[in-house]
Amino acid sequence: MEKENLRFVIVGHVDHGKSTLIGRLFYDTDSLPEGKIEEIKQICESLGKDIEFGYVMDHLAEERDQGVTIDTAQTFFRTDKREYTIIDAPGHVEFIKNMITGASQAEAAILIVDANEGVKEQTRRHSYILKMLGLKQVIVTINKMDLVDYSKDRFNEVKKELIEFLDKLNIKPSYIIPISAKEGDFIAKKTENLKWFDGPTVLDALDSFSKEESLIDRPTRFAVQDVYKFDERINAGMVLSGLIKENDEILVLPSKETTKVKEIKEWLKAPKEAEAGKSIGIVTEDGLFLDRGCILTHKDEEQPKITSAVKGHLFWLDREPYKKGERVLFKLSSQEIMGELEKIERVIDSSTLETLREDADEIKNREVADVIIKLSSDVVFEDFNDIPTLGRFVLERQDTCAGGIITEIGGKTNVI
Amino acid sequence: MIVIFAIDALEYNLVEEFNCKNLKQKYYGKTDISEFSQPRTMVLWSSFMTGKNKEDDVLEDGNKEMWNKKWDIKETFFSFFENPVVLDLPGFSYDLGFHGKSRILLKNFFETKNLEKKENLKKEYNKDAFDHHRKIKDKFFKALGEDRDFVLGYFSVADVIGHLNFGNKVIMKMIYIELDEMAEKIKKNKRVKSLIILSDHGMKAIGRFGDHSEYGFWSTNFKDLKTPKITEFYELIRGIKNES
Repeated sequence: MEKENLRFVIVGHVDHGKSTLIGRLFYDTDSLPEGKIEEIKQICESLGKDIEFGYVMDHLAEERDQGVTIDTAQTFFRTDKREYTIIDAPGHVEFIKNMITGASQAEAAILIVDANEGVKEQTRRHSYILKMLGLKQVIVTINKMDLVDYSKDRFNEVKKELIEFLDKLNIKPSYIIPISAKEGDFIAKKTENLKWFDGPTVLDALDSFSKEESLIDRPTRFAVQDVYKFDERINAGMVLSGLIKENDEILVLPSKETTKVKEIKEWLKAPKEAEAGKSIGIVTEDGLFLDRGCILTHKDEEQPKITSAVKGHLFWLDREPYKKGERVLFKLSSQEIMGELEKIERVIDSSTLETLREDADEIKNREVADVIIKLSSDVVFEDFNDIPTLGRFVLERQDTCAGGIITEIGGKTNVI
Repeated sequence: MIVIFAIDALEYNLVEEFNCKNLKQKYYGKTDISEFSQPRTMVLWSSFMTGKNKEDDVLEDGNKEMWNKKWDIKETFFSFFENPVVLDLPGFSYDLGFHGKSRILLKNFFETKNLEKKENLKKEYNKDAFDHHRKIKDKFFKALGEDRDFVLGYFSVADVIGHLNFGNKVIMKMIYIELDEMAEKIKKNKRVKSLIILSDHGMKAIGRFGDHSEYGFWSTNFKDLKTPKITEFYELIRGIKNES
């Protein structure tokens, strides 16, 4: 039987030990290719150094570059309970982009903090993103305990500092664990070095987390990504939620036309149905002209919202600030619509949580803002907590410049 | 004390890729070695220490014999100094025993078709390279603790390991981080007034192996040298010596 898989992300300030923790998780769960860790160990010894687990990450990145692993930003390890996917991206900015734009749909997070340095700017910004994405299963690890002589007092100091900040964000970590990723303390094993700590190891804590409720049980949503015209029109896309079957009566949004599923196509297969997460092609009975960006639903299910103005909460990711009046491309799932920020209600510093400006005229790099986005045509969306892909958006100039979550309808609603 | 951290085959692009801040120092760039027919280690270091293009002299007795070439201190800028230490530099204080063995192992590696033998040769080759690196490193840092006016340490690990392992980014990164940490340690040494980090040439990928690239790497904390020729360091070092 296929093992359950849980996707999690490791966030934290640069150099607080993310790579070392990942390397250690792979090493302690015996998930590395044979010989690789020995090679790293041997060279470290040859250079007169202790083994550096951060190099495991480099090895995994190298495998990715060489196409050994298919996914560009995911690595896997397993415990007795389940498989884990660590979602990663090279570089701080790319990482934030991936997190916000939904390239990484994490179900849990580990926030790593250096026991020596304590809470730093990126600790706070990344915590903010966890809050924005509504991640509830969070482990805080206070790392590099070996550098502070495994001091319980230092652990409590950092813990207090962090909790004060997380409280403001209403993040309640499930566990706060002192660790040394380098030495292997409380990653897979409880060790004597931290005998004063009676909580779980990182792996035990991860194993205690639950899988998110499957999107199969939600109303059906299919996003058309492309249309191929052969003898028949194949509408290629992804089932974002629910289940789509042959002969289903479907509603096309936002146009509200109706049609029927004639055939489902999958690479080298001809399935009768396809569930959430599947990339498929759909042929409709009447060959209806669909476009990229159309969302298909079941006629008789609860419908998404349709509007030409949304309220959202966004994280600005471009060095070039947004100035009121500028038009940007609004992308939500496969929908792409031109729009502009009609109102910038509040701008917040994501590190200090301070309100910087109200009814503002611009948003600068790394600032967070509550905005109303006016669009040139209707967009189909959902509550982010119900179907995340239809609740998050990105804004683009030449490249992605912001990512955010829709909080509510921003103007007149087009109710179905 | 003037210090030259001489690194064989330190590749500009990898210094950038691995973001080796200490190797870069304040000013850094590529050297111009286009006057030479090929980026040969012995030719380049010979030209560096004498301030003259020594390609013809080094190659006059053929490729095999070039490693035995040895320059008199009077022909080099080392003679400007009262008590210089020059460690393992090709053409001056080169450890012929170690480097000779290394070249034989490399030759045997490429000649044998037996995979197991190949693997064993590679292991021995890599191990020797790391052992030698540590040996020179110990001598180098010992010299930096002494009352010297000039210290040059030549390190071949990036070249030797790179030839067989350039396609293995993890190994290459480990070496570059090691060299970067050494640069950091040199800079923290209060006796060191001027540090020049220099390579003869860089390295480029040939499949999973490595071959010499057509430029070297330089860095200093005191002057932007733009794209210097390797022979220009002779006068540069004379200038620093005179200033001090």
